[in-house]
Amino acid sequence: MEIALLSLSSCLGCQMVFLSLEEYLYELIGENKVVYAPFLMDRREWDHADLALVEGTVRNTEHFLRAREVREKADRVVALGTCASFGGVQGLADLYPESRLLRSRFGDTAFEGGPQGVKRLLPLDSFIRVDAYLPGCPPPVALMERFLRAAVAGDRLSREGSTVCAECGVTSPPLPQPGPRRLTDGAGEPGKCLLESGFVCLGPLTRDGCGALCPTEMGVPCRGCRGPAGRVLERAGVDMEAETVRRLSRATGKKEGEIRAEVADPPRTYYLFCLAEPLLRRRRSGGTSHYIHRLGEQ
Amino acid sequence: MAELVIRPLTRIYGNAALRVESEEGATPRARFSAFGYRGFELMARGAHVDNLVPMVSRICGPDSLFHQAAACMAAEEALGVQVPPAARTLRELALWAQLFERHAVSLAVHSLPDLLFPASDPGLRNLVSIYRVDEEVVRRLLSLKSLVGGRQVHGFNFRPGGAVRDLRPESRESLAERLRSGEALLLETARLVKLLLRRSEERVRTAGSIDGSYMAMRHPRGMEIGEGEPALLVTGEEGGEPRPVVDLGSRLREEPSAHGHVVYASLEGAGELLVGPLARLNVNGSYGTPRADEELAEVKETWGFPVRYPMVAHALRMLEMIHAWEKMLALLSGPAEGPLGGGLSVGAGKARAYLEAPEGALVYGLELGEDGMVRDLSIISPLQFNLRSLERSLAEAYAATVREGVEKTADVLQMVVRAYAPCVPCGVH
Ligand code: SF4
Ligand code: SF4
Ligand code: SF4
Repeated sequence: MEIALLSLSSCLGCQMVFLSLEEYLYELIGENKVVYAPFLMDRREWDHADLALVEGTVRNTEHFLRAREVREKADRVVALGTCASFGGVQGLADLYPESRLLRSRFGDTAFEGGPQGVKRLLPLDSFIRVDAYLPGCPPPVALMERFLRAAVAGDRLSREGSTVCAECGVTSPPLPQPGPRRLTDGAGEPGKCLLESGFVCLGPLTRDGCGALCPTEMGVPCRGCRGPAGRVLERAGVDMEAETVRRLSRATGKKEGEIRAEVADPPRTYYLFCLAEPLLRRRRSGGTSHYIHRLGEQ
Repeated sequence: MAELVIRPLTRIYGNAALRVESEEGATPRARFSAFGYRGFELMARGAHVDNLVPMVSRICGPDSLFHQAAACMAAEEALGVQVPPAARTLRELALWAQLFERHAVSLAVHSLPDLLFPASDPGLRNLVSIYRVDEEVVRRLLSLKSLVGGRQVHGFNFRPGGAVRDLRPESRESLAERLRSGEALLLETARLVKLLLRRSEERVRTAGSIDGSYMAMRHPRGMEIGEGEPALLVTGEEGGEPRPVVDLGSRLREEPSAHGHVVYASLEGAGELLVGPLARLNVNGSYGTPRADEELAEVKETWGFPVRYPMVAHALRMLEMIHAWEKMLALLSGPAEGPLGGGLSVGAGKARAYLEAPEGALVYGLELGEDGMVRDLSIISPLQFNLRSLERSLAEAYAATVREGVEKTADVLQMVVRAYAPCVPCGVH
C-alpha cells in the first residue's frame, strides 16, 4: 500500500493532524507506506500511489495541474479536510470576483511567470474525480485514524452519515428563548441546546463525526466545520440558511423575517465552510448563488 | 548566466519555489516565490466580528491560535474591552503550547534530518527513512510534538472579550504531568541540536547572515508573546541597545513583489528586517526563565551575541521550547478561577495588534463599523518581514557554496530556507 500526502491551497492544518496520529503514524511510515509527501520528505517525483490524500483547494493553474497529476498517478483520491471536500473557509473567496481579490492586494502588479488564478473557488471534485471524502477543519485525529485504517484496508467509504446533533449530549431549554444570539453576546446555559437557546448553531445541518465537540465540550455553537450533512447535500429542499432561520424562529418565538433581519453577515454565518459547494447553490428556499459574485466574470 | 531552480521546496510549511540567478562578477539574485493568495483581508470585509476569529484561524493551521489571538486583541482594543486575567492566562497557555508544537515540527520534521545526517543523500533525510534505521530517534522527536497534547489547530477557546471555557482541574493536572514527564527529553534534544550545529560550524557561518534591524517584542521579563513593546536592534552597531519602535502603525510599508504573492513588508527607516527567534533573543538578551537561560549561555559563547547566523535559529527554537515549557508549567500552577469575560457590545473602533507568532511579528490592523462589522482588515505576517533577509541569505549561501556543485548548493539553500522556517500560508494569506 503506497500513500501520497500533499497540499494544494491550504492552511496545512490537516497535515498537522496527520502528524498527530502517533502510533498509527509509525505504523504507516514503518511499513513504508508513505511514498510522496513534500511536507515530510524530499522526494519530488513519484509514479504511483494506491491512495492519495489531497489537502486544500484549487486556486490556480498550478494547483489544477497538481490535482490532475494526482488523479493520473493514484488509484484512489481522498479529499482531505473541508477545503478539499467543500471549499472550506477559503470558499468565501467566491463572494468576490477573483480579479477584484487580486487587485485589492496587489494593485496592478504584473507577475513574472506565475500561475493563472481560477475564476471560481470550487471543491476538489469539481476539478477531478474524488473517490472518498474526509471533511473536518481539521478532521479530529481519532476520526482520521479510523478513516485511514478503512481506506488502507480498501473499504468503500461513503459520504453518508448523520448530523452533529445526533452526537450532542444537551437537553432542551424552555421556549421561547432570547435571540438570535452569537458567542459575542455571551455564553449560553451549560448543557442546554444552543440552537433552542437562540444561538446560531449549525449542528442539525452538519455531518457527524467530531463527537459534537463544540457544543458538548466547549458549550459553543457548531459552525459547521465538518461541512454539510448528507441529507443537506442530497435534498434540494434543504437550505442551511432557511432551515436555521426556521429553527431560530421557533426557539425565539420571533417571525422568520425578524430573524433574517437580525442575523448580520449571513454568508459567513450559515456557509462559513461550504459557500463554494456547488450542490448548495440552487435550493427551493434560497441557496448560495445570490452570495456568489463570481458567476459571469470576464 | 547561471540559474538554479528548486521547485517545489520540500520539508517546509507550504508550497514554494526558489530561483537563484548569477552572472560572473555580480552578486547572485535569489527569489523565494509562492503563489495562492486566498484573499483573507477582502473576505473579512463585511464579516461580523464573531465570524472573524474562526475565519482568520484558517489562514494557517500551525499558527492558527496566533491569528485568532491577533484578531481578538485588535477587536478588544477597537472596542475598548478588557480581557479578564483568567481568560488571559488561558490564552497565553494555548499560545505557548502552539509555539511549542510549531517549533517541534520545524525541528523534528523539517530541519533535524539535515543536521543529523548532513552527508547522506537528501532523499533519505526524512522521518520515514530515518524510522527504517532508527525507530527510537523518530519516536523521541515526534513525542516532543505531542507533549503539549490537545487540539492546537483551530482550537475553540478564543473569542473577542475573553475565553470560552476554563480548563478542568483534572485537565490542568494531566497537562502539567505530561509536560513534566518530557523534561529530560527536552533538555537532551536541546543539547543535541546545539552539538549538531557546532559540528556544522563552517556551514552555519556561511549560510547567510543578517544585515539590518532585528524587530521583536521587548519586555523587562524576557521573551513574551503579546506583552511588552515592539523594539528594534540595529545590527553592526557595537554595543547597540534596542530602541522602542515609535509610531509602528504609520511606518509599516507593504510592497508587492513581481515573483510571488508574498508581499514584502518593512518598517520605514529600519532597513532590512529580521523577525522571529533570532530577533527575539537579540532584542531581549535572555528568555527570562531559568532553564532556557541556562542553556542559552552556551549558545552565546559559541555563536556570539547578538546572534547573527540564521541557522542558529534551530538552537533558539529549542530554547524557546524550553522557555514555553517553563511558562506553561508556571501558568498551570497559578490561580485558575475567575470570570472569562461576558458579552461584547459591538460598535465602531479601529486598532492594531502586534504579537510574536512562532516565526516573528504578526500585525493585525482592524477597523469596525458602528454595526460591529469589519470595515477593514490588514494582516502582516512574519514571512513578509523576513522575505528580503531570507532572499539575501540565500544569495550569500549560493555564492559561498556554488563551487561545491549544483547538488550541494541546492542542498545548502534548502537548509537556509528551513533555518527561517518560513510559513507560506501565513505569508500569502
Ligand atoms: S480543511 Fe481546515 S484544517 Fe484542513 S487545510 Fe483546510 S482550512 Fe486547514
Ligand atoms: S447544541 Fe447544536 S449540535 Fe447540539 S443539539 Fe443543539 S443544535 Fe444540535
Ligand atoms: S461541532 Fe461543528 S464546528 Fe465543532 S468540530 Fe464539530 S462540526 Fe466542527
